[in-house]
Amino acid sequence: MKKSCCLILAGVLALAGCKSKEDAKVLNLFAWSEYIPQTVLDGFTAETGIKVNYETFSSGEEMLAKLLAGGVGYDIIQPPDYIAEVLIKEGELLPLDTAKLSGLDNILPEFRGMPHDPQDAYTVPYMTGSVGIVVNTERVTTPVKGFKDLFKPEHSGRIVVVDDGRELVVAALYTLGLGINDITPENIAAARPLLASWFPMIKLFDSDSPKTALLNGDVDLGYVWGGEAAILWDEDKKFQYILPEEGAHIFVDVVAIPAKAPHPDAAHAFISYLLRPEVSKLISDEFPYTNPNGAARKLLTEDQLANPGSYPKTELALDTFRHIGESGALIDELVTDLKNTSGQ
Amino acid sequence: MQTIGLPGTAAPHARKPGLWGWLLLAPMVLWLLLFVVVPTGILAVYSFCQRDDLGRVVFSFTWDNYVRVFDPIYLNILGRSVAYAGLTTIICVAVGYPVGWYIARRPAGLRNLLLLLVMIPFWTSFLIRTYAWIAILKNEGLLNGLLLSAGAITAPLELLYTPVAVVIGLVYAYLPFMILPVYGSAEKVDNALVEAAHDLGAGPVRAFSEVIIPLTLPGIAAGVLLVFVPAIGMFAITDLMGGARVPMIGNVIQNQFFKARNWPFGAALGVVFTLMFVFTYLAVQWHGRRSQR
Repeated sequence: MKKSCCLILAGVLALAGCKSKEDAKVLNLFAWSEYIPQTVLDGFTAETGIKVNYETFSSGEEMLAKLLAGGVGYDIIQPPDYIAEVLIKEGELLPLDTAKLSGLDNILPEFRGMPHDPQDAYTVPYMTGSVGIVVNTERVTTPVKGFKDLFKPEHSGRIVVVDDGRELVVAALYTLGLGINDITPENIAAARPLLASWFPMIKLFDSDSPKTALLNGDVDLGYVWGGEAAILWDEDKKFQYILPEEGAHIFVDVVAIPAKAPHPDAAHAFISYLLRPEVSKLISDEFPYTNPNGAARKLLTEDQLANPGSYPKTELALDTFRHIGESGALIDELVTDLKNTSGQ
Repeated sequence: MQTIGLPGTAAPHARKPGLWGWLLLAPMVLWLLLFVVVPTGILAVYSFCQRDDLGRVVFSFTWDNYVRVFDPIYLNILGRSVAYAGLTTIICVAVGYPVGWYIARRPAGLRNLLLLLVMIPFWTSFLIRTYAWIAILKNEGLLNGLLLSAGAITAPLELLYTPVAVVIGLVYAYLPFMILPVYGSAEKVDNALVEAAHDLGAGPVRAFSEVIIPLTLPGIAAGVLLVFVPAIGMFAITDLMGGARVPMIGNVIQNQFFKARNWPFGAALGVVFTLMFVFTYLAVQWHGRRSQR
C-alpha cells in the first residue's frame, strides 16, 4: 500500500516535470492508440517493477504537437519515420546508448539505416506497414493490380480510402511516375486533374477504421493500411490485399527517447524489452502489421506470415515518407478543394 | 411577460452589488475569464502569427491567414456549412415546435414523463449514438432490412455516406435543443389568451400565427440559436455519417489543428467563425426586440 502510494506520488511528480529520486521506477510512454498490447506493458512492469504511464495519440502530428508543447516529460515516444526525421534534425531526440540496449541484432537488415535515421543513432523500428489496395473478390471479379484498375468508372461509389491527404496525393504521384517526396507546386498541379477524376468515385474517407465499411458491405474496394487489410483477411479470405503496381511505400513507426526524457534508463530498458522476440511476437499477434524483428518473425505461425496484409509479396522497391515541412499545406489545400468541388 | 412593469430605480434589487455580491460572482467571473476571454485572446493573437517547419507558432505578424480564409474554397465551404445548418434548423423548428407545444399542454405527470423521454438519449455518449445511426442506415442495415422485408423497396437505399445521412444526423443531434426551449415558452402561455382569440373570432390559423407564435417566439429564438450555431461547426457527424466526403467548416478547422498543423490558419478560421456567431446572435436579439414592440 505504502509502495503504491509512493508510485502514485512519483507519477504525479514525474508528470509535473519535477525530478526526484523516487521516480526512477516510472516510464512515461506516449504511443499510438491500439498499438501496444496491455500484456506487453504488464510483462515489463512485472519484470522490472517500472510502472508504465501509457498516454495515447491518434496521429503523428498530434504527438508532435503535444511533445513540442512541453509539460509532460515523456520517456518513450513512438513517431512515424518522417516525424522522427525532423525531430532528429531539430535535436529533440536523445542519442541511444547502445551499451544499454540488447536485441538490436534482431532487427532485419532492410529496416536498418533507413533514410529517417541513417546511423540508427536515435530510433529503433517498432512496427512497419504498407498502404495498398484491398478487394472484396466476391463482389469484384475483374483483376485489380494498381490504382488504374481501382479507380475505374464501374467501381464508382464502391471505394473507401484513408482520409489522409498525403497518402492520396502520393497515390496520384505514383500513377504519374513522379517522386513521392517531391511535393512541389508543379507536381501538385500535375496530380490535381487525376485526383479530381478519382474523388467523385470515392464513397468514403476513413483513416481510423476503413475495414468497417468493407466488412459491412457498404464498399467493395479500398486503399487502406496494410494492418487493416490483414485483419480483414483474417476475418475472411475473400478480402485480398495487393501493393499497387505503380508503386508503394512503407511507413516505419519507431520508438525513440525525447531529449528531455526524465527516465532515460527506464526508456532503454523498455526498448530492450520490446526487442525481445517473444515480446515482439505478442505485438504481432494482436496488431498484425509488418514486424521488422527477424527473430520474432521466426516465432509467427505460417498463417500469420502468409497474410498479405502483414507480409505482402512484391517485386517493388518500397519507398518511405520524408519530412516535407511547409509543402504539407499544398496537399491540405488541394485535398480540401477537391473534396469541396466533388461534393457539390 | 413583456407586460410586467420594470422595477423602479428605487427598488432594492437595483442596488449596485456590494462586496458580498462580487464574492458570489467571483467563481463565474473567474471561469469566464479563464475559459472564454483568455482562449479567445490566444486565438486572436495566433490568427496573426505564422508557423515554422515543425508547425510551431511563430510570433511574427501577418495578414496571410485572413487572406486565405477569404479564398473561394473556404467561403464555399462556409456557405455550405451555413446551408446545412440552416436546413437542420428549419427541420428542427418544423418537427420540434409541435412536440414542444404538445408536451407543454399535457397534464403535469405525463409532461414530466415526455420530457424525460426527450432527455434520455443524453445519457448515452453522443459518438455511440452516431455509430448506432451507422448501423441503422448502412446498406445491410436495420432500415434497409426492414424496408426490403416489407417489400417497400427492391434494392437497398444508398443512405449512409450521403448528404441525406448528414442532415439526418444533424437533426437527430440537435432536435432536443429545439424542443426544450419551445417547451419552456409554451408552458408559460396562458390558455385564456388562446381562448380569447377564438372568442374574438380568430380561426385556428389566425390564433396560431397571431397569438401562439408571438408568445412562444423567445423559445423559438433560443432554439434557433442553440441549433444553428453548433450545427455550423459540427465535424463528427460529417466525418462518420457523411464519409468525410463533403468538408464542413468544422472539419477544415479541426484539420488545421491536427493533420495540417497550421494553427494560425485554424485560429483565423476560428475567429471569423466566432464573429459570425456574434453577428447571428445580435441579429436574433435585434429581431426579437423589434417583434416585441
